[in-house]
Amino acid sequence: MSDTFVIETSGLCKQYGAVEALRGLSLAVPAGSICGFLGRNGAGKTTTIKVLLGMARATSGTAHVFGVPAGSEAGGVDVRRRIGFVSDDKDLYDYMTVAETIRFTAAFFPRWRDDLEQRYRRSFDLPPERKVKALSRGTRTKLALLLALCRGADLLILDEPTSGLDPAMTEEVLQALVGHVANEEMTVFFSSHQIAEVDQIADRVAIIDRGRLVVSGSLDDVRERYCHVELVFDGEAPQVTFTAPGVERVRRQGRVLTVLSSAGADGIAAEARALNPVSVQTVPATLKEIFLETVVGEN
Amino acid sequence: MLWYKAWLETRWRFLIGMAVLILSVAGTVFAYPRVERMLPLVPSIDTSSLVGQRIKAIADLSRTYGGYIWAQWLRQNNVQMLSLFAALLGTGGLLSQVTGGGGLFTLSLPVSRDRLFGVRAATGLAELAVLAFVPSLLLPLLSPAVGQTFGLGAALAYGACAFIASAVLFSATCLLSTVFNDVWRPALIVCAVAAAIGIYEPFLGEISRYSLFGIMDGETYFRDGGLPWLGLLASMAVSAAMLVAASRNLARQDF
Repeated sequence: MSDTFVIETSGLCKQYGAVEALRGLSLAVPAGSICGFLGRNGAGKTTTIKVLLGMARATSGTAHVFGVPAGSEAGGVDVRRRIGFVSDDKDLYDYMTVAETIRFTAAFFPRWRDDLEQRYRRSFDLPPERKVKALSRGTRTKLALLLALCRGADLLILDEPTSGLDPAMTEEVLQALVGHVANEEMTVFFSSHQIAEVDQIADRVAIIDRGRLVVSGSLDDVRERYCHVELVFDGEAPQVTFTAPGVERVRRQGRVLTVLSSAGADGIAAEARALNPVSVQTVPATLKEIFLETVVGEN
Repeated sequence: MLWYKAWLETRWRFLIGMAVLILSVAGTVFAYPRVERMLPLVPSIDTSSLVGQRIKAIADLSRTYGGYIWAQWLRQNNVQMLSLFAALLGTGGLLSQVTGGGGLFTLSLPVSRDRLFGVRAATGLAELAVLAFVPSLLLPLLSPAVGQTFGLGAALAYGACAFIASAVLFSATCLLSTVFNDVWRPALIVCAVAAAIGIYEPFLGEISRYSLFGIMDGETYFRDGGLPWLGLLASMAVSAAMLVAASRNLARQDF
């Protein structure tokens, strides 16, 4: 177990009856990073988060948070004291008021940040006496975020924090998150299926598909590694099998052969020249393209 | 703060139960003078049917104030209503909150599931104890208003019997609440079981005083002046076993 990884899973499997939610997920999130956890609906993002928080137990494999086995009765309570969590549906107590909810939550966290609480109460414009059930989705999200941010946590786990929000509210929430992380030393692990969101705030990305990790690394590194090599031929593009490392996907469309590489373009470009194309062009892949090629393309 | 949360979640059930039970015990006490006036009509009741026999038996018991209170309040109204509110106080909790809202937030708090369940169960039991003892303790206070007396010791004894026996139904609902993820099925199942016991109990004859409701209404205390220790201890053991089973069941669940 490495000290530098706040979250570390290895061969993590989770089965719900006949459904395999996680199939050997191996993931590592370094301390201090903002890691976007991308995947389609039902890819296993929420299950991973539930296993990390001890809400669900792994069928096999291991998961550690702060070096403590996830779900362990002994260390679980201490670990959760260091985690701020926002669930997908912004799960809160409908029967409490905003002020009661804040007071209730603060009581469990010795490092609760009163200064941040005051600041976010004002900036999020939260009505203290209103019942949670009467809050709009946006305001409810802001309250859930306040409760996570003020815990004095070392790790924030956010399950689709902006789901169901309009673009303006999404931007407001993301800005609050970025502003917070800029001032506090913490690790953020947030799941999303909004690629633009991950692109905007994350410095690391992990893409999960059908319970397996398909892409992982720092965003810069992923962007550097992943590229398209476009080969244009005089006539119909030939059917080729590339031997260069990192070939993820090859597409033929008329005169154009497009290769997605996860190990740079040099090897593929060198191999492609032997096919005598009219032109060879290397185009950096966007995160959206990487996601679509590795996840949707896979299916 | 978990106590506060448990109180917020159950307070309306508890307060409604409290109001209903207080109104019921007060109504029973203040109805006694009218019942007393009707007693001379009792010999004309046809006792050839089971219903007639039961009315006659109740009427006979009502010739004394203590017998009237036991037959009308402790044996009937209190047993029925306390059973209902025991089931209502026991239902709900973490499993239903995960589907109904708030459950995942609770699970993200730095609190063990045992403690979550323990606080919820203890709050419910405390509320149940209040529901069991307060109406009983009102008997010594209200009885002088109708020219009667009711001993404090008897009130405490009946309250203890009612609490300990109704805790079995409460614990059964708690256990079922860790199996079903809604609040209705556990309460309805326990109420149905309680109704079945209530229907078949009269056919048990003398043994009925050792049944759950026989313990709850303090029949042994009423007839012999002693507490049904064996029944009370058995009820406590069954309740404790079901609460431990509920806690274990909750601890091993995936949410």
